[in-house]
Amino acid sequence: MTEAVVDVRELRKTFRVTEREEGLAATLRSFVKRRRKDVNAVAGITFRIDPGEIVGFLGPNGAGKTTTLKMLSGLLHPSAGEARVLEFVPWRRENAYLKRMTLLMGNRSQLVWDIPAADSFRVLQEIYRIPEQQFRDTVKELTELLELQELVHKPVRNLSLGERMKVEFAAGLIHSPSVAFLDEPTIGLDISMQVRIRRFVAEYNRRTGATILLTSHYMDDVVALCKRVIVIHRGRLLYDGPLADLAERMAPYKLITATLHDGAASSTDLDAYGTVVSREEGRVTLRVDRQVAPERTARLVNDLGSRLADISVEDPPIEEVIDRVFTSEQTVVSA
Amino acid sequence: MYRALLVAQIQAASQYRVQSILWMLFSVIRPVIFLAAWVAVANSQGGQIGAYDVRDFAAYYICLSLVSNLTMSWNAYDFEFEVRMGRLSPKLLRPLHPIHYSVVENLVWKLTTIVPLGIILVFVSLTFDARFRTTPAHLLLFVPSVLLAAALAFFSGWVLATLAFWTTRVHAVSTFWDRAAFIFAGQIAPLALLPGPLQAISLALPFGYILGVPAEILRGGVSIPTALQLMAGQAIWLVIFYFAFHRVWRVGVRQYSAVGA
Repeated sequence: MTEAVVDVRELRKTFRVTEREEGLAATLRSFVKRRRKDVNAVAGITFRIDPGEIVGFLGPNGAGKTTTLKMLSGLLHPSAGEARVLEFVPWRRENAYLKRMTLLMGNRSQLVWDIPAADSFRVLQEIYRIPEQQFRDTVKELTELLELQELVHKPVRNLSLGERMKVEFAAGLIHSPSVAFLDEPTIGLDISMQVRIRRFVAEYNRRTGATILLTSHYMDDVVALCKRVIVIHRGRLLYDGPLADLAERMAPYKLITATLHDGAASSTDLDAYGTVVSREEGRVTLRVDRQVAPERTARLVNDLGSRLADISVEDPPIEEVIDRVFTSEQTVVSA
Repeated sequence: MYRALLVAQIQAASQYRVQSILWMLFSVIRPVIFLAAWVAVANSQGGQIGAYDVRDFAAYYICLSLVSNLTMSWNAYDFEFEVRMGRLSPKLLRPLHPIHYSVVENLVWKLTTIVPLGIILVFVSLTFDARFRTTPAHLLLFVPSVLLAAALAFFSGWVLATLAFWTTRVHAVSTFWDRAAFIFAGQIAPLALLPGPLQAISLALPFGYILGVPAEILRGGVSIPTALQLMAGQAIWLVIFYFAFHRVWRVGVRQYSAVGA
C-alpha cells in the first residue's frame, strides 16, 4: 500500500461556546454565571489520502470541513484523535512541514494590500528561503499558468476579486508545496474565472504531483477536479469514495430526457415509462430506476419512433445527490 | 533575512507617511505639554524643583520624547485586531514566527520618523534652552540602555498582545497598562521627583525602565554607577518578559480558535 500523504484517525474538535438568552435579565445573569456548551465541530473522522490525489471535501455549512482543514494545516489543535500529513503532526507547525504545505482560503487574503504582489512574492521567497533560480522559475510558471503578467505590479488593493484570487493562488504556491488545502477557492468568482482556477488546479496537480484536498460549494469544481469525494455532515463522515459511485449509492435512479419533433410533449402520455419530473415544450424528463433504465430507454426509442428527436440518459445532478446524502445523514460507504 | 520584509514594510509605510508623521507629532505633544507645565511650576518656585531647573526639565522631556519614539511598541492593539479578524492565520502557517513582522514594523516606524522628530526636538531644545549634562560615557551607555528599553517594551507588549488568544478585549488590559505607565514610567514627572513611596514602586515596576531610565541616562541625569544599576534592572525585566512571552505564546497558540479565519 502506498504511504498516505494525509492520514487522519478519529480526529475530533470540540469548541466550548458561551450561550446567552436574549433580554436584559439574561444579560445581567451572564455577568455572574455564563452558560457554556460544547459544540462538536468534528466528531471523529478517519480517512487517508494518497500522493497526487485531488479529493473533494464536501458538506453543508457548519459540517466541519474548514475546521478539519485548519487542523490538517496546523492552525488548530484537535480535541482528540490523530493526524499526520507528510509524516508530520500538523499542529506542531514545524518549519519543515510549513514549507511543504499550503492552506488557501477563498475568502481570506494573505498578501500585503498596500504593495504589489511581486514584492510580496519576494518577502515569501525570503520566508521560505527559496533559492533564486527556483524562485524565478516558479514565478514564471505561475505567471504563465494564471496569466498574472499585468497583475503582479499593481498594489493588491487595486485588483478585482478574481484577479486577487489568482495572485493569492500564486502566493500560496510559490514555495511549491506538496500538499495544498483549498477552502472554497472559487467563492465569489464569476463563471469564467471559476473555470480558469479549476483548470489551473488540475494543471498544477498534473505538473507537480501535489496532493490536494478541496472544499467547495460549487459542484462544478468538484466534478471537474475530483475523482474521489469525502462527505461530512455535523462533523461525521458520511461518504468516502469515488464521486461516480456516490450517485449510484445515493440516487438509485437515472434521468431520461426525451425531446420530441412535433413539440407535443405536453400532450404525449409518458407516465408508463417512469415518473415525469419535468415537462417543457417538446422535452420530457423521466425518473426511472437504474436497473430498468436501459430497457425503458430502448422502449421509448422503439415506441416513439420517428417522433423522437433526441434522447439522453444521465445521472441526477450532483447537487441533488449530495443533498440526499446530507438529508439521509447515514454513512453510505467508507472506501 | 529581514531585507525583503524591510523593503516591503517601507513600501507599505510610504502609503501612510502622513499618518506616520501625525502619530509621531502626537507622541511629542504630550511630553512638550508636561515640559511647559513643569517650566511654569519651576518658574513660580524660583526656577528650581529638586535637582531640576527649567533647562533640566527641557533636556529631560526632549530625551523622553526621543526614547519614547525609539521604544514605542503597539503590538497589543494590532495583534488583537489580527486575531479577531483572522489575519493571524496566514502568518501562523508560514515558517517564520509572527513576532518578526512586528520587529520589522517597529524598525520601519522608527527609521521613518526619526529625522522629522529630530528636527522638532532640536527646535524645542533651542526654544527652552535645554541643558544636557551628558558625558561621552552617558552616550555610550545610552545605546545599550535604549536597546534594552525597546526590547522590554516590545516583549511586554507581546505578552499583553498574546492575551488576545483568550480574550478579544485586550484593548482594556493595554489601556490599563498605558495608564500605569503614565504614572510610573517618568512621563508625568522625572522619576527622581516622584514622592518616596511612588519612586520605590516605580523602580520595582517595569515601566520606568522603558522610558525614564534611558531618558535620564541620555540627559546625563544619573551617575555612571547608578546608570549601570538601572540598566541591570532593565535587563532583569527584559529576561522576565522574554520568558513570559515564550510561555504565554506556547499555551496561547493552542488556545487559538482561528475565529473567522
